[in-house]
Amino acid sequence: MRYIVAGYVVILSLLFLYSVQLVWRRRRLARAVARVVAAGAGHEGPTVGTLPAAGGPT
Amino acid sequence: MSDLAPATDRRDRPVAPAVPTTGVTPAPVQSPRARATERTIGVLALVGTAFTVWLGLWVTPPDRTQGDLVRLVYLHPGVAWVALYLAFGLAAVSSVLYLWPRTRSLFWDRLAAAAVEVGVVFNVCTLVSGSIWGKPTWGVWWAWDARLTLTAVLLVLFLGYLAIRRVPAEPEVRARRSAFVALFAVLDVPLVHFSVNWWNTLHQGATVLNPGLTLKIHGSMAWTLLLGFVALTLAFVWMLLVRYRIGVLEDWLDANELGAALVERRSEGAGASAGAAGSAPIDPVGVA
Repeated sequence: MRYIVAGYVVILSLLFLYSVQLVWRRRRLARAVARVVAAGAGHEGPTVGTLPAAGGPT
Repeated sequence: MSDLAPATDRRDRPVAPAVPTTGVTPAPVQSPRARATERTIGVLALVGTAFTVWLGLWVTPPDRTQGDLVRLVYLHPGVAWVALYLAFGLAAVSSVLYLWPRTRSLFWDRLAAAAVEVGVVFNVCTLVSGSIWGKPTWGVWWAWDARLTLTAVLLVLFLGYLAIRRVPAEPEVRARRSAFVALFAVLDVPLVHFSVNWWNTLHQGATVLNPGLTLKIHGSMAWTLLLGFVALTLAFVWMLLVRYRIGVLEDWLDANELGAALVERRSEGAGASAGAAGSAPIDPVGVA
């Protein structure tokens, strides 16, 4: 019976740990995306990335 | 003309800015409906797995020849089904759809990558559960049997796929390269499937997916086996959805992190020069 219990414990633990790791990875990435979006929105000024018009006032 | 007007060259054509305008593209958002579907599938997978464990360990009777060891069979073919047929099959189909010019999209590449990663986990579960079943049945943890060896080769091939994806490259190059590797690796799946028919192996023949498609297990044992298949399939779908989402977020970050860093750096530079102009009258580069 110990082999059976070991088999169930090993398989279910592997699947459970992988699932937890997936959720943790997704949460970490979602936080990183939110940080980048906040950084982009927070520093988005009217002149950022806009080149001055050729011959126009600078 | 104000500073906010689009830049033009001498022929009044718009000039592309040297850097992104805002640094980031809109973030990928998961709809509430998709989130609810994902959660429902996750709960169903959990409940189904719990029922399978309950039926497998406490309700079903021992087998006439295998005794209690048959209880491992309620999980082992299920994880093998998910790894070999669902995950690696889906990876192969997605790879073909990526390589086909009419359907080429990074969606298929992400789906294939997600399916392979989840499939590798299930492949490991297949080998481990088979090994734990093999020790009391055959007397050894491992035998160089055709099916076992080909399943181990399959794991190595798809680990190679995951390694190839880690090699730095443009998304399209990585996708094409990975698709070819997946299509090569998946050639091992029919070999694994038919190995018990083609060669004289230690591994028993198929209980469900045999040539005649006749179920060689009956009553509560059959129902428990089929419930295990359904529960593990649901678990696979849930993992696939979450892993796909991870791929979307990773790709978005790869594409936007540089832009956001540039915006942030420029803003820091502007803040620093404003601060310097307000506090210190020194102009080291002679701009003022």
